[in-house]
Amino acid sequence: MDSDAVAKAFVEHYYSTFDANRAALANLYQDASMLTFEGHKIMGSQNIVAKLTALPFHQCQHLITTVDSQPSGPAGGMLVFVSGNLQLSGEQHPLRFSQMFHLMPTPQGSFYVLNDIFRLNYA
Amino acid sequence: MEEQVEMVGKAFVDHYYHLFDNNRTELVSLYQPTSMLTFEGQRIQGVDDISAKLNQLPFDQCRHVISTVDSQPSAFAGGVVVFVSGCLQLHGEEHPLRFSQMFHLIPTGQGSYFVQNDMFRLNYG
Repeated sequence: MDSDAVAKAFVEHYYSTFDANRAALANLYQDASMLTFEGHKIMGSQNIVAKLTALPFHQCQHLITTVDSQPSGPAGGMLVFVSGNLQLSGEQHPLRFSQMFHLMPTPQGSFYVLNDIFRLNYA
Repeated sequence: MEEQVEMVGKAFVDHYYHLFDNNRTELVSLYQPTSMLTFEGQRIQGVDDISAKLNQLPFDQCRHVISTVDSQPSAFAGGVVVFVSGCLQLHGEEHPLRFSQMFHLIPTGQGSYFVQNDMFRLNYG
């Protein structure tokens, strides 16, 4: 499995959705999904999307620097490790961040996010 | 249940970096033949190759200072994903390197965990 190609495609889709229409991220999470956002733990697609849409900025742009991926086990899961910059509209300096996703296959041939952990990288 | 996963993550992270900083050759005990490491984009598989990579890094002494540890259950029976950020101080270098690392831990069956997946990246300023 070329996990890198799948991972890059997922990452592009995730962040372009985040940057254009944050509510649409609901399609990428399920009830069992878990997000830890700057240490704050949230469970389930509804609560996760509520958290992400309530973040204190309207417009943002993710600029991805690195994407690493590995298969996570026999169930076809994939771990994706991302680093990049988050530019908030109106802010002079971008924020640096790292994020990991654990993706699990759906019966329809795509992936959903089972585990999601996000951290800003302070200088 | 959540608390337990966080405890596992923190205990593992303490143990891992203590070994790394004090007895790097012993890190091999935390990997198995199916283990995978991606180190600054380079993919390495299996105990021998991972051990060789870590033992051949171009510094003898180092110290990891951990800033954050986040853990979640991974859906594999008892598996845990752990996400770490911190600084790596190399002996003789003036400024520490910032890094992030993620581990996917699988229970060994004897009450401990091994590293099935490991990805490391430096965070450049």
